[in-house]
Amino acid sequence: MKRTPLIPLALLLLVAAVFLAVPAMSQQDMTTVPTEGFKQTTRLPAVFAHDAHNEKAALADCSACHHGEKDGKRDNSADTSGIPCSDCHSAQAKPGKTPLMRAFHRQCMGCHMDKQKGPVTCGDCHEPAPKK
Amino acid sequence: MHALFNLAVGPLAWLAFALFILGSAYRLMAMRALALKKDASFVAYISWPHALKSLAHWITPFGALGWRENPGVTVVTFAFHICLFLVPLFLMGHIALFDAFHGWSWPALPDTVADTLSIVVVAACLYFLWRRIAVPEVRFITRTHDWLVLALVGATFLTGVLAYHRIGDNLFMTTLHILCGEAMLVAIPFTRLSHMLFGFFSRGYIASEFGSVRHAKDW
Repeated sequence: MKRTPLIPLALLLLVAAVFLAVPAMSQQDMTTVPTEGFKQTTRLPAVFAHDAHNEKAALADCSACHHGEKDGKRDNSADTSGIPCSDCHSAQAKPGKTPLMRAFHRQCMGCHMDKQKGPVTCGDCHEPAPKK
Repeated sequence: MHALFNLAVGPLAWLAFALFILGSAYRLMAMRALALKKDASFVAYISWPHALKSLAHWITPFGALGWRENPGVTVVTFAFHICLFLVPLFLMGHIALFDAFHGWSWPALPDTVADTLSIVVVAACLYFLWRRIAVPEVRFITRTHDWLVLALVGATFLTGVLAYHRIGDNLFMTTLHILCGEAMLVAIPFTRLSHMLFGFFSRGYIASEFGSVRHAKDW
């Protein structure tokens, strides 16, 4: 019987996946708000370069965005960095939870309106990502 | 510009909706009181069956003789009014604002459909503008109010289309669009746009007189 190259192939795929996944998960390369949590999107993903944004906004406290939850309310004392937004904020609303689109809009637009800095209109976020 | 945007989507939006709803309620009640005072004998003849039958005919394209007289105007009028209502109520961008600020959400039109329908409204406004200038019998009855409301609707939809296509500074265009829309909302009870409130009653009254008194159709 001829040996199938299944195991070496699988190993090769695994290595490739790790190599591909590392840059994908690094925030340095993030150019838009992650949209994996949505089944389908109606607009272009909102432009968001994580590191450049935080440098410009002088944001050192991760929990300003990566907040936690306490008794169904936002808890800014908890730092949830590294956990994808969509893990808690699913696209479809569950009772007492904030759906993903509302969470993104409130997070970005809300802060930009408060600080009167940064994009607040549809077209200023949902635009073609700048070419690198 | 950020401060103006915040004002437009916040306090001015509340003000615009309040003036629209309360103003409309006031105008309807004031008109009812006036009708009872000056035209009580006519009010007594209001007949719901005749009114509803006539309304059914007049809200159907070409369903009334008046609509068959000038097919071009009929097509544009219906297209204009249908789009005028569909787009603001079911545009994703509008729903997203209600969703973010109040947690209210409802199904939206696909963006490309809403975009096309908005362009239809702008084109219809241009047609109405041309008619008011070029058709003598229309120009004859055109008053300042008519230009004002046409400009309000045209500007609201034009700035909306431009903002969607990201033509011009987006914050400026979007803010202008919101302010125009709010002005339009406030204008509904207090200008000729009040035909949105009174049109059905005028039709009902005419239908009642034709139906109950003259025993004739008014469509």
